[in-house]
Amino acid sequence: MTRIIGKSIKRVDALGKVTGQTLYPGDRDFENQLWLKVLFARRPHARILSIDTSEAEALPGVVGILTAKDVPVNQYGLQIPDQPVLCGPGSNKKGGDVVRFVGDQVAVVIAESEEIAAQARDLIKVEYQDLPVVDDPEFARSGKAPQLHPGVLNNIADYKRVRKGNPDAVWDKCAVVVESVYRTPFQEHAYLQPEAGTAYIDEAGRITVHCAGQWTWEDQQQIAQALDMPPEKIRVVYDAIGGAFGGREDMSVQIILALAVKYLAERGIYRPVKIIWNREESIIGHCKRHPMIIKTRWGAQANGKLLAAEVEIISDAGAYMYTSNKVLGNTVITCTGPYEIPHVKIDAYAVYTNNVVSGAFRGFGGPQGAFAAEMQMNKLAQKLGMDPVELRLKNALTPDKTLSVGTTIPGGVSMAQVIREAAWKSDWQFTGARPEFNPNYPEDLPRYVTGRGFAAGFKNIGFSFGYQENSWAQVELRGGGDIEEAVVRIAGADVGQGHHTVMAQIAAEVLGVELDKIRLEVSDTAFTESSGSASASRLTFMAGNAVREAAEFALSKWQAEERPAIAEATWLAPKTTPFDPETGYCVPNFAYGYVAEMVEVTVDTETGFITVDRVVCADDVGKAINPEQVVGQIEGAIVQAHGYTILEDFQVHKGRVLTPNFSTYLIPGVYDIPQHVDSIIVEDPHPDGPFGARGMGEMPYLPYAPAVAAAVYDAIGVWFDQFPITPERVLRALGKVRSWI
Amino acid sequence: MHNPRPGLPEFDYVRPASLSEASRFLAEHQGEARPFMGGTDTFVRMRDGFWKEKYIVDVKRLDGMGDITFDPSTGLTIGAAVNMNRVIDSPEVQEHYPLLAEAAKTVASFQLRSRATIVGNICNASPAGDTIGACIVMGGVLKVHGLDGEREVPLTGFFVGPGKTVLKPGDIVTAIRFPVLPQGHAGRYIKLGRNALSDLAIVGVTAFAYPDDTPSGYRFKLALASVAPVPLVPEKAEEILTGKPITDETIAEAAQAAMDACNPIDDVRGSARYRKYMVRNLTRRAVTDVLNRLQ
Repeated sequence: MTRIIGKSIKRVDALGKVTGQTLYPGDRDFENQLWLKVLFARRPHARILSIDTSEAEALPGVVGILTAKDVPVNQYGLQIPDQPVLCGPGSNKKGGDVVRFVGDQVAVVIAESEEIAAQARDLIKVEYQDLPVVDDPEFARSGKAPQLHPGVLNNIADYKRVRKGNPDAVWDKCAVVVESVYRTPFQEHAYLQPEAGTAYIDEAGRITVHCAGQWTWEDQQQIAQALDMPPEKIRVVYDAIGGAFGGREDMSVQIILALAVKYLAERGIYRPVKIIWNREESIIGHCKRHPMIIKTRWGAQANGKLLAAEVEIISDAGAYMYTSNKVLGNTVITCTGPYEIPHVKIDAYAVYTNNVVSGAFRGFGGPQGAFAAEMQMNKLAQKLGMDPVELRLKNALTPDKTLSVGTTIPGGVSMAQVIREAAWKSDWQFTGARPEFNPNYPEDLPRYVTGRGFAAGFKNIGFSFGYQENSWAQVELRGGGDIEEAVVRIAGADVGQGHHTVMAQIAAEVLGVELDKIRLEVSDTAFTESSGSASASRLTFMAGNAVREAAEFALSKWQAEERPAIAEATWLAPKTTPFDPETGYCVPNFAYGYVAEMVEVTVDTETGFITVDRVVCADDVGKAINPEQVVGQIEGAIVQAHGYTILEDFQVHKGRVLTPNFSTYLIPGVYDIPQHVDSIIVEDPHPDGPFGARGMGEMPYLPYAPAVAAAVYDAIGVWFDQFPITPERVLRALGKVRSWI
Repeated sequence: MHNPRPGLPEFDYVRPASLSEASRFLAEHQGEARPFMGGTDTFVRMRDGFWKEKYIVDVKRLDGMGDITFDPSTGLTIGAAVNMNRVIDSPEVQEHYPLLAEAAKTVASFQLRSRATIVGNICNASPAGDTIGACIVMGGVLKVHGLDGEREVPLTGFFVGPGKTVLKPGDIVTAIRFPVLPQGHAGRYIKLGRNALSDLAIVGVTAFAYPDDTPSGYRFKLALASVAPVPLVPEKAEEILTGKPITDETIAEAAQAAMDACNPIDDVRGSARYRKYMVRNLTRRAVTDVLNRLQ
């Protein structure tokens, strides 16, 4: 029996946050601080011929203006360094004078106040030579489009393929074949706290950046690389983080904050600097979820057994790589669903365009892949006249069945159990397949029509594909006879998901002490090493194991009378392997989470509006270390996926963002979200997870869009291969909004 | 959509002691001064750099600006500085002009409505203004203080284009006045936004009617939001509903006429075609709801 694991204890950050004591990056102030303001390019593709800062520099209160020539190594990037820190002439990297999307940064003003910095920014004169805008990923890779990065043929940033069996040999044997082209949209993270930070030189002489991110160690590396300084001269500290969802994995204000401090110090000015992006700057300045075009054909036998799948994925990477190659890997894994298919052919491309950069976002390529796979399953069920739940159970992965990349899944596969759980708890009944709506012979639909839909999903935990996943923690026990205080040092970012609380629970459980004895020291590269990113649903699993192990070591030292007893651990996940370049064969991941959802909708056939009346979500989390936080993550993921599916509509025209604020880009409010969510926690322990825990922050997101689309089909008989399913799209599909109107 | 400044630009805040002083000041500083009420649009537009006024002229504390008065023989007067939540909560509005409360409730959020005003909504002259239709169909008349003193300006013909009205330099709208409404009247405002709360109208339809000696037995008034450069009155649709006995076919014909009257644009909230189609659907619904309320 565990004492603290499995209990919904109060979050360790609750009191500070609800009383307003907690400092977010924008809340930190220094007496003599200077302010930064960024000049964004605000044009999608152009060469900068000249930058004239003389008028801006002459403005009283302006302390300095940074441009490309001031950046020691003017190139950075999480996966590959392909983005200039500042675009403009004088860049020491090839192509650094070219702006590739509206959010490219051109200059940074340092001034006595934010207002002066903004005024000076508007006085900077930039001479641009506009270049042709590449805004369509299919055109971008066609061979006819201009090349956006040196040495990148046909703008193909990344390509992956899978070859298993031979689909072409079995299409004849399929009783049904479903062929579709899916288009998934951009999505903005819309975290409450826009990018912000402060920076200064600390007492040890390190350039210290306070900000909000997802991986302190990686931020430190990227800053050091761009500034051409050793990493130990850079210190990154996370203040409280107001949401991240992947949008803080890549650099935003980190490098320019450090650069400004360096620039000032070189001129004998030792003053802290501060920056806060406003919402519009945030929306054009950070990445979005990848829009994807997924062309796919699946075939099944009359008994429902899947035989073959052929998939082509075209992912719009936007202007720079960010994490596009890794996101694409996840889409490859998820695009054939949690099912065994003997014959598979996948070709996947991430393509550079001049659109806003795409990057990490909760699900990391999974929601796009899952949409295609689950839509295909629901369409096959409809064509076969089969219960979509039964069809899934017939094909679901089990420990002995192989993924499309040719290997089995380690650590338990509970897909069938989770599907059964969701079907049972939602009282799922199959009453026959609905025929497709024919707009030429429209049915006389009543104003309100209801429908139910089902979808399943699986998602990896951790960064893998051959990368050796690792996570660091340190535990220090103080006291005499009894442990009076246990200091737990971790670097994992609490982005709002409750990570720190869960680490405190694990430490307290292992050490056999009460929670009030645990003191967390977190997210400061001065005394924490790398715990890895707050991504890929990985922190509970990875950092949880590191804390468990460090606590066990510290405890044995304590029992050996060491005072204080200090131990650290770097936990290494089981080995994985990269995609084989020819066949895609690999052991991609060491762990997965499994989820299934039933959704009930009402469609208003007069306005086209969809309301979601009920969601039943069953999620195998391995072990719920803090059940209330698990439910919070399920509900949060569903609300975010709800916006993705029917409301959020990020519009870009010729590379320019038409929805740069929250009056044009709407996210769901309390009256828009599903009326009712039943969260069902399934616990099939993972043999390597701490106390059996898997990851779970992303999984409930994956089946939502296809489950809603299936419910809408059940209601009105129309498959929506493109979303968000806006009211206008609904009415057009019903033949009600026609071109003659 | 370039937001040049992190906050508001610098401006002078002016609080004249009288309406005449305010009118003189506004006329003397034509193009660089603006009367100020709730500020819910003014501040946003100034922050975003669309308006660059040097002076904000606060007139909301001048005589009568903050009053709601109702007289059973002359009607309702709402001062220009009365916020929408007060209008919604007013017993006289609820009893005698419920359509105005119904429309005001759809504006933005409770917090915004604590500052936003009906007169401000009108003077802002956005085709999407949610309360403008109610004011038009109930015969609202603006009281205007200008350089030549007080005068009344009817809402018919008040709007010239998006953000443009017939007001002249020095003019301050001090109140909106409504006549006593005919016995047995009923109204309905249906707003379609992308979300349940706080979006601007993709389309808004106001319908209002009262029993009268006409072929249909009613006099019908309609107004449409977000479908033309100005708030639109579909006169032909009104005539159909007034001039023929009301049947499902008459309602459908009027809805079609309302749709044909509008000239919407495509924007991020919806396409012109969707808007037109929704005008037809929502007009049908609004008229049907009004008929149910009349009976």
